[in-house]
Amino acid sequence: MTNKEGDLVLIDRILDGEQALYATLIDRYKSYTFTIALKILQNRPEAEEASQDAFIKAYHHLAGFNRQSKFSTWLYRIAFNTAISYKRKHRYKFQSIENTVIEYHQEAEGMLEKTDRQRYLNLAMSKLNEADRTALTLFYMQEFSLEEISEIMSMQANTIKVRIHRARQRVAEELKNILQKEALTL
Amino acid sequence: MKKLSQDLEDTLLDYLDGNLDPSRREAFEQILKGNIFLQKRLEELRTADLVLKQSAVEHPSKNFTAHVMGRLDQYPARSSASIRNGILLLTGLLIVMGIAVILLSAGVFDDTTTLDLNNSDLIQRYIKQSLPQISVSGKLIVNTILLLNLALAFVVLDRTILKPYFQRRIQTGH
Repeated sequence: MTNKEGDLVLIDRILDGEQALYATLIDRYKSYTFTIALKILQNRPEAEEASQDAFIKAYHHLAGFNRQSKFSTWLYRIAFNTAISYKRKHRYKFQSIENTVIEYHQEAEGMLEKTDRQRYLNLAMSKLNEADRTALTLFYMQEFSLEEISEIMSMQANTIKVRIHRARQRVAEELKNILQKEALTL
Repeated sequence: MKKLSQDLEDTLLDYLDGNLDPSRREAFEQILKGNIFLQKRLEELRTADLVLKQSAVEHPSKNFTAHVMGRLDQYPARSSASIRNGILLLTGLLIVMGIAVILLSAGVFDDTTTLDLNNSDLIQRYIKQSLPQISVSGKLIVNTILLLNLALAFVVLDRTILKPYFQRRIQTGH
């Protein structure tokens, strides 16, 4: 049984009243859902809350889920939209910090387990807007086709392709600049 | 380093992804051999690609699932209020439509008003020719508004009353 079929069976049982089975779906998709929210919000507690909300929204709209697409695609679209609306709602809080990049850099440095590579990548990614960051993340998860990414982000596949190309070029540029700066401080 | 054109940047990415057909790939490799800027840029893109490929999927807190499961029943409070609001909105729409129908059948909107634009000073000053008169039928306008209200009432009925009602019935298993 494929993941898609397995999800549909679970959904039917959940809709029949076996609410506890929803935990299986959460366990299956929580990491990707959280990653999407984190790439948009760039703040772990906010991303945690937004991704939890996405799962709760998905649960309450489960009966209306269009079974033509994968459950994961539908769920990630909800996560994407929820994170975007969180970002809009908390815009003041985010922008009141004078330099988000510095704050993020410090946060990244505080995480001992993060490698330098991951820290540099986070810095470079923080220069992208949230849509480009999400498109790039979904692309490099290597789980989704361009069509699925376009469905999750409610954009045309061609637009997504261009966004991903531009974002990859921008990240390469930013990584080069960051590494040059790092080399100068040595 | 000078900036490359967008076309060249895109071709570099296609080359990196293996999306160029063999003949184009060979031709591009010839260009690459003789262009140190292109080679450097390809290296930058390749480095970024490797770093991005190794970027890990992030994991939420350990009690994530338990938190979500604990909050599953908090959400529907909003939809019960929305059904009540939907009923109120629908009632308002029906009352307005009822009043409009009564006034319409009483002949209140039977008159036809004629707009004569030629009387306007502004038009006389800037447009020398005489303009045609426009007749406005009150009955037609009210009928159009009634039709739009009817369509709106159907949408309100569907979105805020019927759909949440049946979804709730499905979820509760009745």
